[in-house]
Amino acid sequence: MKRVLIVDDSIAVARQLEKIVNSDEGFEVVGQGRNGAEAIKLCQQEKPDILCMDVNMPVMDGLTALRNLMKLTPDLNVVMVTSLGGVGDKFTEALKLGAKDVLSKPFEKDSVLSMLRRL
Amino acid sequence: MAVKFFGQFLIGKSAVTRSELLRAIDLQEKTNLKFGELVVEMGLMNAVDIARVHAAQRTEDLQFGEMAVKLGIISESQAQQVLTRQKNSHLYIGEALVQIGALTKRELDTYLKEFKEDQLAYIVEKIEIPAGLPHKPIWEMVADLTYKMLTRVAGMSFRTGPCSVIDKLPNRPVIAEMGFSGSVSARYVLSVSESTRSLVAKAILDEDSVENEEVEVLDDSVKEFINIVCGNIAAKAAQLGHSIDITPPELRNGASGNLDVPENHTGLMFPIYLSDGEVFELTIFVPEN
Repeated sequence: MKRVLIVDDSIAVARQLEKIVNSDEGFEVVGQGRNGAEAIKLCQQEKPDILCMDVNMPVMDGLTALRNLMKLTPDLNVVMVTSLGGVGDKFTEALKLGAKDVLSKPFEKDSVLSMLRRL
Repeated sequence: MAVKFFGQFLIGKSAVTRSELLRAIDLQEKTNLKFGELVVEMGLMNAVDIARVHAAQRTEDLQFGEMAVKLGIISESQAQQVLTRQKNSHLYIGEALVQIGALTKRELDTYLKEFKEDQLAYIVEKIEIPAGLPHKPIWEMVADLTYKMLTRVAGMSFRTGPCSVIDKLPNRPVIAEMGFSGSVSARYVLSVSESTRSLVAKAILDEDSVENEEVEVLDDSVKEFINIVCGNIAAKAAQLGHSIDITPPELRNGASGNLDVPENHTGLMFPIYLSDGEVFELTIFVPEN
């Protein structure tokens, strides 16, 4: 079973994503954070297989956290979560920094799960 | 179920890999020259001219070509020649993927057709905006995408009223708002009742009932809904050639907060009527030029 960490400042988004991830027997949500700094801390504690992380967050944004995480754990599968996924340059920036994919909102359950299965 | 970038669509279909897409983007970036790069390549301007334009752009919000014409460095017809060459030599992401061998031409045509079908749901329908405002197609698109997301994301059935110009926001208990900046700036405001907030929260949280949810979670759901709408607006605007950044969603205190449309702005209000008699409003604060 793949261990998934969710980091998003929105309680509503985190709840929605957790529900989708836990609906598949192949995945288990092992923790939740609310900002990029918590993402780095939780990744070291929980050692997840996959991190689903929002781009826009307080304290430390998702792209800054991604840049730091790629130095600490370059093999970590990171999926960035954003409502701006459809904006080409934002999508490209996330991939260039090392994200494996970008999850656009609103979520489609099947698309989310098939993306996670590809990692 | 979102406005997508073609490369993102192709990765979602497993038609190309992430590294192939990055290679194609790299080729695009090398091929698609900016106005300032092209104008030098065409021998119309030199490094000193470029620096003059950049310096002038710090004090006046004009695009590079417009500023170069204004400063008298190039003529309008030369600017037009540069734009035409830029347009004619533009390498699209699909063509770049063919050039690096990640897709065949035939596969590209098939996926482009599928992509257009996937994005059909986001084609903007006609909405009447009062005359005289700049960027009318953008405000039409903002209202239209809001209606589409209310149907698809929030699962609401509703009818819309005509757009009108207001000087005060309707007083509603929940007012969520976000800012747009970039080539188009504005403020997006959604004013809803408590029962409409519950409808939105049910949809966002995917729950049958939200009776026991804390107000913070309900409010967060409305903020998340407008975040999704505005993110998709930015993506659609990018397809229309505009670069829009969005600020995080915020809540305004409806009962005691300031409801006035800000000075030097036009308030465009779009009423939305639910079948049970509830009404809520989308308002866009458009800065006057």
